[in-house]
Amino acid sequence: MSIDVSGVTKTFGDFVALDDVSVSLPTGQLTALLGPSGGGKSTLLRVIAGLETADTGRVTIEGVDATRLPPQKRNVGFVFQHYAVFKHMTVAKNVAFGLEIRKRPKAEIAARVDELLRLVHLSQFSHRLPSQLSGGQRQRMALARALAVEPKVLLLDEPFGALDAKVRKELRDWLRRLHDEVHVTTVFVTHDQEEAMEVADEIVVINDGRVEQVGTPDQLYDEPANDFVMSFLGEVTTLGGVLLRPHDVHISTTPQLAGAAEGTVSRVLRVGFEVRVNVLTDDGEDVLLVLTRTHARQLGIEPGVRVWVTPASGALTVPSMKAAVG
Amino acid sequence: MTSALAGVTGAAAEPASREGRRPRRSRRATPRNTLTKGAALGLGVTMVWFSILVLIPLAAIVATASENGWSQYVATLQNPQTWAAIKLTVGQALLVTVINIVMGTVIAWVLVRDRFPGKAILDVIIDVPFALPTIVAGLVLLALYGPNSPIGVHWANTERAVFLALAFVTLPFIVRTVQPVLEELESDVEEAAASLGASRTTIIRRIVLPSLTPAIAAGAALSFARAISEYGSLVLLSGNLPFRTEVVSVRVLSFIENGNTASAAALATIMLAVALLVIVVLDIVQRRVSRRG
Ligand SMILES: Nc1ncnc2c1ncn2[C@@H]1O[C@H](COP(=O)(O)OP(=O)(O)OP(=O)(O)O)[C@@H](O)[C@H]1O
Ligand SMILES: [Mg+2]
Repeated sequence: MSIDVSGVTKTFGDFVALDDVSVSLPTGQLTALLGPSGGGKSTLLRVIAGLETADTGRVTIEGVDATRLPPQKRNVGFVFQHYAVFKHMTVAKNVAFGLEIRKRPKAEIAARVDELLRLVHLSQFSHRLPSQLSGGQRQRMALARALAVEPKVLLLDEPFGALDAKVRKELRDWLRRLHDEVHVTTVFVTHDQEEAMEVADEIVVINDGRVEQVGTPDQLYDEPANDFVMSFLGEVTTLGGVLLRPHDVHISTTPQLAGAAEGTVSRVLRVGFEVRVNVLTDDGEDVLLVLTRTHARQLGIEPGVRVWVTPASGALTVPSMKAAVG
Repeated sequence: MTSALAGVTGAAAEPASREGRRPRRSRRATPRNTLTKGAALGLGVTMVWFSILVLIPLAAIVATASENGWSQYVATLQNPQTWAAIKLTVGQALLVTVINIVMGTVIAWVLVRDRFPGKAILDVIIDVPFALPTIVAGLVLLALYGPNSPIGVHWANTERAVFLALAFVTLPFIVRTVQPVLEELESDVEEAAASLGASRTTIIRRIVLPSLTPAIAAGAALSFARAISEYGSLVLLSGNLPFRTEVVSVRVLSFIENGNTASAAALATIMLAVALLVIVVLDIVQRRVSRRG
């Protein structure tokens, strides 16, 4: 295991930001810390980096107990959401910073900076100041700067959070490819489940200062440990007191299946090739389901039609903890 | 002053060209006239106002002083009493400015970064020496360090009196220019440096100070300019003794009182040149330091 966090608790005043958190992150993988805003993701990452000290618990990095080490001694690369560039230094100087501090020979520094700038596609910008770069370029520079010192682990706190959707998507694919090339153990924070599912080998879901579940994207999606994970990883709806995905609801215009709930279509919304249908059951549940356009047309679904809904066979369901919202 | 402040915004003003299509041009190319109508009006108003307030009076002084050609300057400088006043004033102003650079930065740091009881009060009190009418400041200093000093420090009629008065009135300048910049510095930049292995001192030297130098230089320019022109706060305590504690402003006043306007103008022009020189030097140093990193 590359990073071992065990029993870490962190409080700010009387607010508990991390509550007895334990996770192990394997070497060489790309792990996502996923969770809602304020859940404690950044705090956990900062505890790993030594930018925040845990009240209790231990942090081990590559077998070395780092709990009491200052950030300077942990050999982790950290990338911040808002780039944290050194404004007065050129791109090349920014990247060289960590190496200059380590008093490496000039020629070696120049060669390494060159190589890194090529890796992040910024070679032609080496003499610019960060203010002359776009957001995405700045973040790539910050990444090169963090990689320059050959960190044991690379920690990224919402690295693409401040960028627009398109650049964000490009950069996340690029990060994935970069990781496959460089293979440094990487942990990145995101509150975007799609980003986590697409990029990460493993996802740690954090909510309210606690780890809700750890697993591969498929595991989380197919076997969510609880209703929180289930609803955080994709759209859900409630039917008969269980949570399920809207596309896992079976609908028919005749009472075909035993136990199906009877109701009335209350709303039909077409979004591209799919149709989103709200059904108000006679028990007072508002069920959302997603159909293809063809399927909806075949069944003649429109507002006011009587229908029967039931979980499709093989549907993933999780008991709902919340009272069903009528 | 203006040139030192220009450094603060200088970096941001450079054109940020998109996606590097022409990365080589963007640095060098001098922007052509980019003035819009509104901006042109603004520039015009600025220049007229600046001319009325600053350029025309300055030109008048220089013209008055130059009526008798170079001989007037030479004569003024050759007067040993005047020369002594210049040396005292410039020397003490430089000394005070250097001390302010250190102390002002330290005070700003403490005010921004540390938490202690009474911080809010200190933050307000910093402005008092500046806000006080200078003659009141002079009275305060006289009461404390004059012949009847309650603390037994008798600095009246010495060079120290001049130093004290200058230090007193120029204290807030660097504090107040550095403080907002320090507040705006983002902590994640320092954290980034720390996780790259930089020690606390390295972070301050290579990350924090370069970001502060434009502000320090601007404050130093203000502080120096104020110091060489100070009058009210030091006349009472310094005693205005020729060759010992007489400063330039006092000397200029006595020239005028004696009807010697030409000498007064010549001395004023010399001080103008000194002020310009110091401001330019500060600006150059500032650019060097903030680019070095
Ligand atoms: N320095 C601090 N002082 C006080 N409270 C803090 C501090 N840092 C974080 N917190 C609190 O701890 C909780 C967790 O914060 P954290 O930054 O870890 O959340 P996050 O999961 O990263 O959220 P986001 O996705 O919005 O960045 C939040 O409620 C926050 O208010
Ligand atoms: Mg965060």
